[in-house]
Amino acid sequence: MKSRLFCLSSIILLVGVFCMGVMPAHAAKIRVVTTLTDLADFTREVGGDLVEVHSLATGVEDTHGVPMKPSFVPMMNRADLIIVVGLECEHAFLPALLEASKNPRIQIDRSGYVNCSKGIVPRDVPKSTEHYAGDVHPYGNPHYTLDPVSAKIAIENIYNALVEFAPQDKAQFTRNRDAYLARLNAKIAEWEREMKPLRGVKFVSYHEHWPYFAARFGLDYFGTIELRPGIDPTARHIEELTAAMKAQHVPIVVREPQFPEKVPKRIAEQTGATMITLPIMPGGVPNTETYIKMMDYIIHTMVTAVQSRK
Amino acid sequence: MKIMIPFVTLFMLSLFSSSVFAETLEDRLRTLEETLKKQQETIQELKALEENLRIQEQTIAEQRKLIEELKAEIKQARPSAPPEGVAVSQTPAAEQMQQQVQELKGQVEQVVEAQRKVLPSEFNPSIGLVGETIFSYRSRGSSQTGSDRPGGFDVFQRSVELNAAASVDPFAKAYVVANASADAQTGESTFNIEEAAIQTTSLPWNLELKAGRFFGEFGRLSYIHDHELPFVNRPLVLDQYIGGESRTDGAQINWLLPVEHYVSLTLGFGNQFGGDVPPNNVGDYRTPGGWNYWGRLSTYFDLTPDISLEPGISGLWNPKTQDHGGPFPQPDGNTFTERERRLVGADLALTWKPLRNNQFQSLTWGTEVLYSDNRYDVTDPSGNALPSTSVPSWGLYSYLAYKFHRQWTTGFLFDWVENLQNNKAKTYAYSPYITWALSHWNQLRLQYTYTAPNAAAAAYGLHSDNAVYLQWAWIIGSHAHGWQQR
Repeated sequence: MKSRLFCLSSIILLVGVFCMGVMPAHAAKIRVVTTLTDLADFTREVGGDLVEVHSLATGVEDTHGVPMKPSFVPMMNRADLIIVVGLECEHAFLPALLEASKNPRIQIDRSGYVNCSKGIVPRDVPKSTEHYAGDVHPYGNPHYTLDPVSAKIAIENIYNALVEFAPQDKAQFTRNRDAYLARLNAKIAEWEREMKPLRGVKFVSYHEHWPYFAARFGLDYFGTIELRPGIDPTARHIEELTAAMKAQHVPIVVREPQFPEKVPKRIAEQTGATMITLPIMPGGVPNTETYIKMMDYIIHTMVTAVQSRK
Repeated sequence: MKIMIPFVTLFMLSLFSSSVFAETLEDRLRTLEETLKKQQETIQELKALEENLRIQEQTIAEQRKLIEELKAEIKQARPSAPPEGVAVSQTPAAEQMQQQVQELKGQVEQVVEAQRKVLPSEFNPSIGLVGETIFSYRSRGSSQTGSDRPGGFDVFQRSVELNAAASVDPFAKAYVVANASADAQTGESTFNIEEAAIQTTSLPWNLELKAGRFFGEFGRLSYIHDHELPFVNRPLVLDQYIGGESRTDGAQINWLLPVEHYVSLTLGFGNQFGGDVPPNNVGDYRTPGGWNYWGRLSTYFDLTPDISLEPGISGLWNPKTQDHGGPFPQPDGNTFTERERRLVGADLALTWKPLRNNQFQSLTWGTEVLYSDNRYDVTDPSGNALPSTSVPSWGLYSYLAYKFHRQWTTGFLFDWVENLQNNKAKTYAYSPYITWALSHWNQLRLQYTYTAPNAAAAAYGLHSDNAVYLQWAWIIGSHAHGWQQR
């Protein structure tokens, strides 16, 4: 009898200890998961010390190839908000992760699902989603955060989501947002000044990451090394692209660091263009841990490459 | 005296009056001076007001003139409606603007009209179709390999798989996978529902329930569809111990443990478990013992940002299989009939996938070991019952897959399996392969397989075999990246 009582007590105690140990303590901070690192940076700036932010990507990945790691699942399970780029940018990894997370708060169109593309006028909306066009994004090109003016729309969406979640902290979110936007606006003016001499300069990139960036700074986005989005180039496509680049004197080849160097380098050598490696999200190359640092790096590298050819 | 008094009085009065008079005059003069001064000040103020008034009148006049000029400009920009029958000429700029406004209005009306249409496909689920053709050459006939496909040269349309998925309501989603494949003997299409299940999406406590027909979660590859396998054919141990894909009609619950580390527990029950063998022979009443019960516990470790380890353990128990799979004749003439099914497995996947190049480079080692301890009724060649027996059998597969380009993966699969009814009969297989994924939806795979049964297995009529397979798989329509494909 005594031993049974002891066993029962032990079991109850163990269960209690287990529950206490594993039940997450009431979070003082808003738990936010973002898909990409630029969204994580914006959230930290706006949220300040009121948010705890985790990014699924580290910055070096292809935005369409972030791995579906089971280690993301507990983090997403506890999240209050998930912040996404939208426009189907995350279609290759997010839907399965959302399902595995078993967190009803952050499912698509629920209150905890924050789509930063709300208010963005998408570019390059495809006429067809048939696979002959490649791995197209049916709602338009999703890489709008590479345009710092469009990035401000994402920041506003993040701000609105944080305010909706924690209205009692609106004043602080507003101060943080305004302070960050003031810095960002000053940098935008600086970047526009620096890029002004590059208006009309043609460039190609490996993947179609740059239409918003090109439109903002007046560059001519000549084409991509990929045959179609997500489809590696064929020999014929490389040949045609090289010939067109020579005819049009395209001076810059942009290689994003998650793609191999071999083909972009060969195209640059054959056309006499300058190959530069540009990150597409913070952390993509060293010393680009924040969005502003990343854009500084992109602008500086682009300007230096063009000016060195003169 | 009498004169003096009035005189003095008069004098005094005069004096007094004079002084009073004198004082009044001064005051009056002072007052007049002050009044004059004030009046002068007032005149100055009036003059200033007059100047202000003049300035204001001038301003008003100028504004009146500006208003008249603006009115004239507006009148010029907006031609007034002409009298009836009289044509009015417009400026070219205004004409062009009006034309652009009309065009824009037309486009907007088209868009609005288009949005008013209700398309019949509005409520369709996401639909995709998978096709899979296998060209093969086998050096032995099917009677010597145990395959359900003929030896020699063969073309097999293994999958024409239609899948559809959609939300049922805010609480659940559902999906269907229907497959048509060619019959080995007649070539005719046989159509079957591989999966048709409902799955909850909003249960509390990290629970998820699935019910219907589905592939139960056992091990790593048993619930993967054939065309999604990292090689052409299902490993021998999964074919023989599970019965191909782990298809069941039942229910399964998954629990994501509420801890910071990923731990997943799945428990399920259902009729049959394994799609390639006949179901249990139930008779006219199934007890709970006639069901299959299975479970899997899995976890995950990020050893480094680029290297991960994913182990799991699984179990399957069918207390009363009731002739599951039919009678199994043995080389010695005895016949085994399955009475209880017991299976446990351990699986492991070690993956190197550098984050920066994860679409272009990876190395995966996957292994699964299964232990079966089924119980059989035994009858002799005369049909007399012999003591029932349990047969402990082992089997495993292990593969290495190296992706060296976005389009190219090469690999090697090793199979080893002991016969379920006779653990002395063992079969080995070695399969190098190479996969070319032209795109996400189009892939070719070339695989060579050498199968080598030992002498005990040869007693079942099996012989060593050399086979070459060319698999071509394609996808059209919707294609979701499921959790199993990670």
